Amino acid sequence: MDPLTPRQDASRDVTPLMQELRLTPDPFAGSLSEPTAVVEPGELRHVALHLKSRGFMLMDSVGIDYLSYPQPRPKRFAVLHNIYHPYDHRRIFLRVWLDDRQPLDSLSPVWRAAHYLEREVYDLIGVEFTDHPDLRKILTPDDLEGHPLRKDFPIGESPTLFREGRFLDPAAFRAGLSGQDGGLTGWRGSLRRGSLRDMVPPVMPQGGPK
Amino acid sequence: MTTLPQTPGPRRTSSTEKPTEGALLHTEMLSLNVGPQHPSTHGVLRLVVDMDGERVSRVVVHMGYLHTGFEKTFEHRTYQQGVTYAPRTDYLHSFGHELAWVLGVEKLLGAQVPERAQVIRVILHELGRIHSHLVFVGTGLLDLGALTPLFYTFREKESCQDIFEAISGYRMNQGYFRVGGLSKDAPEGWEQMVARFCDQQERGVQEYLNLFGQNPIFLDRATDIGIISAQEAIDLGLTGPNLRASGVPLDHRKNNPYSGYENYDFEVLTTQKGDCLDRFRIRILEIEQSIRIIRQALARLRPGLVQDPNRKISLPPRPELETSMEAVIHHFKLVTEGFHPPLGEVYVPVETCRGEVGYYVVSDGGSMPYRVKIRSPSFVNVQALEYACVGAQFADLITILATIDPVLGDVDR
Repeated sequence: MDPLTPRQDASRDVTPLMQELRLTPDPFAGSLSEPTAVVEPGELRHVALHLKSRGFMLMDSVGIDYLSYPQPRPKRFAVLHNIYHPYDHRRIFLRVWLDDRQPLDSLSPVWRAAHYLEREVYDLIGVEFTDHPDLRKILTPDDLEGHPLRKDFPIGESPTLFREGRFLDPAAFRAGLSGQDGGLTGWRGSLRRGSLRDMVPPVMPQGGPK
Repeated sequence: MTTLPQTPGPRRTSSTEKPTEGALLHTEMLSLNVGPQHPSTHGVLRLVVDMDGERVSRVVVHMGYLHTGFEKTFEHRTYQQGVTYAPRTDYLHSFGHELAWVLGVEKLLGAQVPERAQVIRVILHELGRIHSHLVFVGTGLLDLGALTPLFYTFREKESCQDIFEAISGYRMNQGYFRVGGLSKDAPEGWEQMVARFCDQQERGVQEYLNLFGQNPIFLDRATDIGIISAQEAIDLGLTGPNLRASGVPLDHRKNNPYSGYENYDFEVLTTQKGDCLDRFRIRILEIEQSIRIIRQALARLRPGLVQDPNRKISLPPRPELETSMEAVIHHFKLVTEGFHPPLGEVYVPVETCRGEVGYYVVSDGGSMPYRVKIRSPSFVNVQALEYACVGAQFADLITILATIDPVLGDVDR
């Protein structure tokens, strides 16, 4: 069937479509959400190709970090692809659950629109897309390390510079005063990934930011 | 525009050296850096254009110069405070983003927006569309070297901003909508102001068309330039006038009506070719449709409430604070803390002058959104540059960029 011809049945209900593609409805989608289907990371491109052949277009890709969400979620990250049919106006969200550093198949081979959208998710949330033609940062400056829309990205705090090049890391300093954990991240880029966080003293004798 | 010395510059023959007879013409690929500070990029967009002579062989778009992390900021402000940030994304059609934001939150809350507020929202939404299209026509033609149309379109644009100023106090970045309605009612005489503007704008559209509609230079530079087919437009994720210029009649005002758009009689216009001329034409014709909607909305405008009377959402009327303790408590709670929508994720698409705008709002039950993702049409539309400019001449790139009409605040957020 030519994807550009509208279907005879003009219903916007996507339940038949989800059954046809054997998609599981998202158990967390409330009554207010748009129809959402949960897709396994390995299945995503396959499902996307089917939707593309039916004339759907990719509207948006949303990356969400559920780290501090009050209700438990299966995994830390979710990528939602907002998919819309421009002629019969059905909309479906495809949700993929991901762990940290778990790569996801890129949809750029399916829709060209995914090119920038996935670069944005990569830049702000830090999901890596395999087979993406040009996975680079897109919005944040090149020298910014980390992914600002992650929930553990520190905001509103910049290190204080003292004489003789001493720096004060606010999160670590506060942690030292209160005896609590400084959180997952510090202000240095490498720390944002959680690798070195226990090795840095609260007040740095020398050096400062890289 | 400056030339970047990315590739070694052309070899120059020194004055002592005589050019050899029949030497091959020196050719090479040239990388040209356009922007970020250049008027024709409509903001701060940087394009690195690889050119073979005058032909563009590749365009690489660099953006993010205006990125200020709106989505992160939204997470640390209450829902009502978000109205301040939404209009600053697309500052030419700010009411479109404001509307998308408040509609999303209202869906979460289940707020009931009174009829009068909805009608005023429609009027402002359409005026915003006219405002943006006027800037598009003026500056778009300015990019093609036509200086005069700018003065004609900006005359109407200023009248449009006078209307915004009269109702909200601001000419740009109004922040006038509220979750549950509007911040305040329209002032007296505002409807007549809008009605006068409609007449002025209708004459204006005729004037613009007389001015450049038949201009051979304009037609030469816009016809058959930067053609995007319907299939390609869908593949690239284009929405709004750019998609309709390619022949796809997608308009959320018609297809997914919001704010009572189902009650208005208007046409969704499409053109078939998808070249620069079509993208110009469709926006000028859309101005006329917007005037049509505004006139119908003015006829529907009746006195009434402009805010949801639910005290858990809207502030109580000021005089009540002097007599009612309950009103004081509500006022205090709403101002200091804001309301708490239930857990959930919503998305409400809105048709702005650039395409589909939607705020994907994730609520964790707190007074601030857990995550906000802005579907900004300019960000997606800019991708079309990498497709439509290849094979065109460099001067056409400026035309294509102008007709795709990105707003850089909307691209970078």
